[in-house]
Amino acid sequence: MSHDEPKRPRVLAIDDSDLVHRLLRARLRHERIDLHSALTADEGITAAKNLQPEVILLDIDLEDLDGFEVLARLKADPITRDIAVIFVSASNETMDRVRGLDLGAVDFVGKPFDVGELKARVRSALRMQRLVKMLAQRAQLDGLTGLWNRAYLDDRLEAETDSAIRYGNPLSLVLCDLDRFKNLNDSYGHPFGDEVLERAAAILGSGRSADVACRYGGEEFAIIAPGTDLNETMEVADRHRFRITEIEWPDRPGVKVSASFGVADLTCISGTPTPEKLIAAADQALYQAKKAGRNQVVAADVQIWPRAATG
Amino acid sequence: MDQSPEPNETPPLHSTYECDPDLRDLVVHFVDEMDQRVEMIRSAFLSDDAVALQRISHQLKGAAGGYGFDSIGDSAARLEYDLLTDEAMISDLSERVEDLINNCRAAVRPADS
Repeated sequence: MSHDEPKRPRVLAIDDSDLVHRLLRARLRHERIDLHSALTADEGITAAKNLQPEVILLDIDLEDLDGFEVLARLKADPITRDIAVIFVSASNETMDRVRGLDLGAVDFVGKPFDVGELKARVRSALRMQRLVKMLAQRAQLDGLTGLWNRAYLDDRLEAETDSAIRYGNPLSLVLCDLDRFKNLNDSYGHPFGDEVLERAAAILGSGRSADVACRYGGEEFAIIAPGTDLNETMEVADRHRFRITEIEWPDRPGVKVSASFGVADLTCISGTPTPEKLIAAADQALYQAKKAGRNQVVAADVQIWPRAATG
Repeated sequence: MDQSPEPNETPPLHSTYECDPDLRDLVVHFVDEMDQRVEMIRSAFLSDDAVALQRISHQLKGAAGGYGFDSIGDSAARLEYDLLTDEAMISDLSERVEDLINNCRAAVRPADS
């Protein structure tokens, strides 16, 4: 019961028999898990979405919907797709087991279950789940800088755009490009270039907690700023810009590194906002910043649309 | 005795977990609910409610073994199998139903510890 122990993994049991839930509760009492129960397929699918458990123990033979269908639905929804599902069933048919595993279940436990086996299989699924999560996260991180990568940026920007439109919240995007990066690489070598990327990334990634910093390309970065309008984001970007110019390079005294920034928010876009339009607007502003002499932050033109011409 | 209205020749069934401290209370509860369960089986059978009968036998098949009553689970499994596979009328299942009821009634509540 100590309060400093890490959060326990969540396990959701979906079974239409209360007898089974009681049994599971008693049998898994000493495991380091939080056990939740759902008595119907509908209840189970909803709980899986809300609870985001690491592991689901799913009864094959539910009354309202067959367990295979539940599994198919869990696997079809991106929110629940990666949950490890262990089938539990009184059916001894090999075909059922094959079908469940082929649909994406990680394991199978027969009913009535052997306690030791059940515990071991839950533990094994939890172990695997941790690794899967770690891998999934690795695949979305940039190897050099540790920031989110381009693939993550694309997904996240789409989700944030949808959400901003739905709730009427502001949303800004910053594009940042290190100035004359090719010259730095050519003059001081690639190891120094990598160091520049890492330290600039550390600054961009150390901003406000809601901001999402990504490595967008070679020496280009992006920051998604949810809930933030153009002016506020300009200030955020300018702080980053200033801190990058302040970096000292012990091995290369006298070297100055700077970056240019383009900022756009949803008000800079005409028509229905899309991630592509937001990126294009920020990119245009970044281009202006470069053209105007680098080491500065430029906002995309604010277009208010539709707008009547004023006299 | 022949006159006994509800002959029950099944010897008393003790849960294999009646001494398991994690399960003892659950087993007590499970046995205490037995009369109610038997009543549900009986009334489902008498009213030709195959769906209800199948549901009860299915649940017992899956759970009774977990409470340490394997023979109840086995008996329920036989009944469910016949319900699912046989084209037989529900009235022909009387032996299976009787067997399940007898097994259920033979379950013994763990002694107080």
